Amino acid sequence: MAGSNEVNLNECKMVVPLNTWVLISSFKLAYNLLRRPDGTFNRHLAEFLDRKVPANLNPVDGVFSFDVLIDRATGLLCRIYRPATAEEPEPNIVELEKPVVGDVVPVIIFFHGGSFAHSSANSAIYDTLCRRLVGICKAVVVSVNYRRAPENRYPCAYDDGWTAFKWVNSRSWLQSRKDSKVHIYLAGDSSGGNIAHHVAARAVESGIDVLGNILLNPMFGGQERTESEKRLDGKYFVTLRDRDWYWRAFLPEGENRDHPACNPFGPNGRSLEGIKFPKSLVVVAGLDLIQDWQLAYVEGLRKAGKEVKLLYMEQATIGFYLLPNNNHFHTVMDEISEFVSSDC
Amino acid sequence: MKRDHNHLQPNPDPSSLRDAPSTGKAKVWDEEAAQQDCGMDELLAVLGYKVKTSDMAEVAQKLEQLEEVMCNVQDDGISHLASETVHYNPSDLSTWLESMLSELNPPSTFDPFGAAGTAAAALDDSFLGPAESSTLTTLDFDNINRKHQKSGQQIFEEASCSDYDLKAIPGKAIYSQNTQPQPQTHDSSSSSTPTNVKSEKRFKSTSGPPSPSDIFPPPPAAASYGIPTDSTRPVVLVDSQENGIRLVHALMACAEAVQQNNLNLAEALVKQIGFLAISQAGAMRKVATYFAEALARRIYRFYPQNPLDHSFSDVLHMHFYETCPYLKFAHFTANQAILEAFEGKKRVHVIDFSMNQGMQWPALMQALALRVGGPPAFRLTGFGPPSHDNSDHLQEVGCKLAQFAKKIHVEFEYRGFVANSLADLDASMLDLRPSEVEAVAVNSVFELHKLLARPGAIDKVFSVVKQMKPELVTIVEQEANHNGPVFLDRFTESLHFYSTLFDSLEGSVSSQDKVMSEVYLGKQICNVVACEGVDRIERHESLTQWRNRLSTAGFSPVHLGSNAFKQASMLLALFAGGDGYGVEENNGCLMLGWHNRPLITTSAWKLTNKTTAISQ
Repeated sequence: MAGSNEVNLNECKMVVPLNTWVLISSFKLAYNLLRRPDGTFNRHLAEFLDRKVPANLNPVDGVFSFDVLIDRATGLLCRIYRPATAEEPEPNIVELEKPVVGDVVPVIIFFHGGSFAHSSANSAIYDTLCRRLVGICKAVVVSVNYRRAPENRYPCAYDDGWTAFKWVNSRSWLQSRKDSKVHIYLAGDSSGGNIAHHVAARAVESGIDVLGNILLNPMFGGQERTESEKRLDGKYFVTLRDRDWYWRAFLPEGENRDHPACNPFGPNGRSLEGIKFPKSLVVVAGLDLIQDWQLAYVEGLRKAGKEVKLLYMEQATIGFYLLPNNNHFHTVMDEISEFVSSDC
Repeated sequence: MKRDHNHLQPNPDPSSLRDAPSTGKAKVWDEEAAQQDCGMDELLAVLGYKVKTSDMAEVAQKLEQLEEVMCNVQDDGISHLASETVHYNPSDLSTWLESMLSELNPPSTFDPFGAAGTAAAALDDSFLGPAESSTLTTLDFDNINRKHQKSGQQIFEEASCSDYDLKAIPGKAIYSQNTQPQPQTHDSSSSSTPTNVKSEKRFKSTSGPPSPSDIFPPPPAAASYGIPTDSTRPVVLVDSQENGIRLVHALMACAEAVQQNNLNLAEALVKQIGFLAISQAGAMRKVATYFAEALARRIYRFYPQNPLDHSFSDVLHMHFYETCPYLKFAHFTANQAILEAFEGKKRVHVIDFSMNQGMQWPALMQALALRVGGPPAFRLTGFGPPSHDNSDHLQEVGCKLAQFAKKIHVEFEYRGFVANSLADLDASMLDLRPSEVEAVAVNSVFELHKLLARPGAIDKVFSVVKQMKPELVTIVEQEANHNGPVFLDRFTESLHFYSTLFDSLEGSVSSQDKVMSEVYLGKQICNVVACEGVDRIERHESLTQWRNRLSTAGFSPVHLGSNAFKQASMLLALFAGGDGYGVEENNGCLMLGWHNRPLITTSAWKLTNKTTAISQ
């Protein structure tokens, strides 16, 4: 196996810039240390290794942030990112929840990735990404620090997402002037994309509008082994074995990957036909081994008559959106911008 | 393709290099590196990783090597890396990877001072990992320095005497009523010039012309370290706001009025705050009340007495110690670093700038007692302010520690120094022994910031510390900038900070402890808001600012590792309402925060250049 590993590493290095390769390989290495074969997780080491950044009221590149404890019982924190305005270049504590200014102000509720087990809202990679989204979409971004597996299995992450959603929806200061409603988009990468889907479903069931879903390399799966999983296993940073580990850590004990959380349009899923599900922008990386599941998800949306735009980035690996040093990054950011602004 | 997104960090765009063959790519990277000024990869830096562009290929190589080794090694090897190995400073990818490579591929000649020096030292972590119970050594040391032994003293009670683990951190300390006046070993009163020590301007003032008290003379060149603007203001909102917002508005408006010297308006607002505060609940009410009181004192020029009556401040300190984990975290993490620094040393000397009731030391002494190979001889020199009632408080503390040392069979020596300011200290007073004979650690918990109230004081202290030739200097400070030149900024920052701190106390079990802790913190609030000049001693500064001061003064960081992180995290879980507390690693320092807002930071330092210490 050693021989083919060498080939993989070289191949892998050819398709991403060197610093991206270093970044994602470091994560891969760290994550290998954190997952234990018995299904437990080395949380202390994970928190030690994760690079975090504090919230910052001082605008950086026109964006400031602050944390809000929205549910004391579960310790649910969200980090809110707002654009700094010309009138208040240095916001102070009484201005944090000042009403947004604008006929239409998109509010993006963002769920960070990490396969349900890793990262936090204050992880540097996600703080950076959320800040970008503010600028690109002229939006307020709310990043949810949801509870993670394996300590907190399904449905904790979804419940936290729902709590955050209701909180956002009920903030008068986030309402757009046009209709005194909060214009909500749901977004997320990896497990965050999965959470965005499920929160959207719950929202529309409860009669609350979601204007759009943005799923970046969303984490879906199923019992079956698909062609892409077999072909790409271990080739571009990710293995089937680690995917299996994360599902086992998140799903209820005894459940398999056809659980609707993992496989929403699978044998135990249900169709969204007749449900007012929002339009979706789904980004799939061509070198992501779970792409068959992501494409099946897109197909599931289409079959149910839901509006969906698929961005298939052929030579992209996981995590391409973490660094602005490749074409895929810029393409996707442009598409996201258009997706959100088309609401105006 | 739009590229000029103004929200993006500037960076060279190597995407065009992607298709170049590997050698070509490496060549271009080298050129880039040569052009840049010792350049860190900016994109990775934003994400928290420090990798020089010129090192990127080498780091990639290490990653590949590790991948290969990990494939070949048993599962055990990997779990060892995760559970046994101590990791340090993950931001420095290169060193982190190197240390793991050494773990899995130990070099043929064991070189503890090689590239993986820290990791090598970490391999012997027998007393750093989770404790195992052990029996005290039966070796009989002639362990008490007779001149410190007193009869009839009560024993310093210990919660548990068996392991170096979390239980060993002292709980209730029982003190004798005994006051035995001793000749003070050192006393001084320092004269002072009431100048407001300059700190760097944090950011542009947005609130009108500064009041006279905010104008300060430009600093002499020597005093300015060219400290860059510390531009992070972390905030966590913990209340549902509603009425709280009106209260905060009133507080800010009042502070602004004070800043603009509009004292009539300020007075009216302060009264309004009083009414608003009553209708609030919980932490917000208390914080508002303390800030309002401090504002009132500033308005009416009814300044609090400084310094506090010592025995009362002791009581407050102890309650604060019990109620919330801040002091315990500080002691614990500092002790961890000291323990590591003292490894292999036969005689050690701790110089404590923050002696108080000496609560930090039993745990360290315990750990030293349990050390493989037996404890070193332990000498402790403690500093503290003078008592009002002429009791030699420091001597009492020393006696109790001596009793404890005897119980655990650690050779112990103690000396207490009373001083109004650490700046009165001179190395010659300390009876320092050659560093080959005795290893020194200097410890300061929430003390250094007080020196910023007098010009030159911090420099003097750093210079004296260097003369001590310490193996290690441990520093714990509040993580906040309450020392900016603009009053309103200090007010705002401290309002955020203490609101968060008070919120963390809300979950405390004992209401008496909680109240006392609030009074303890209230005194600090009063000092930050109502005092100026040499009286304003609560001049907290952030880690970034301390890092600059220390590196300019000739100190280099010593990293705290994943073992200290883990144990500190576990310590926090013991506190009621513990879920909100969190430990964060920041370039080798450990921060304790409440709901992701960092509140205190422990850092460790060594001399950058040991040989030149004497000349400075």
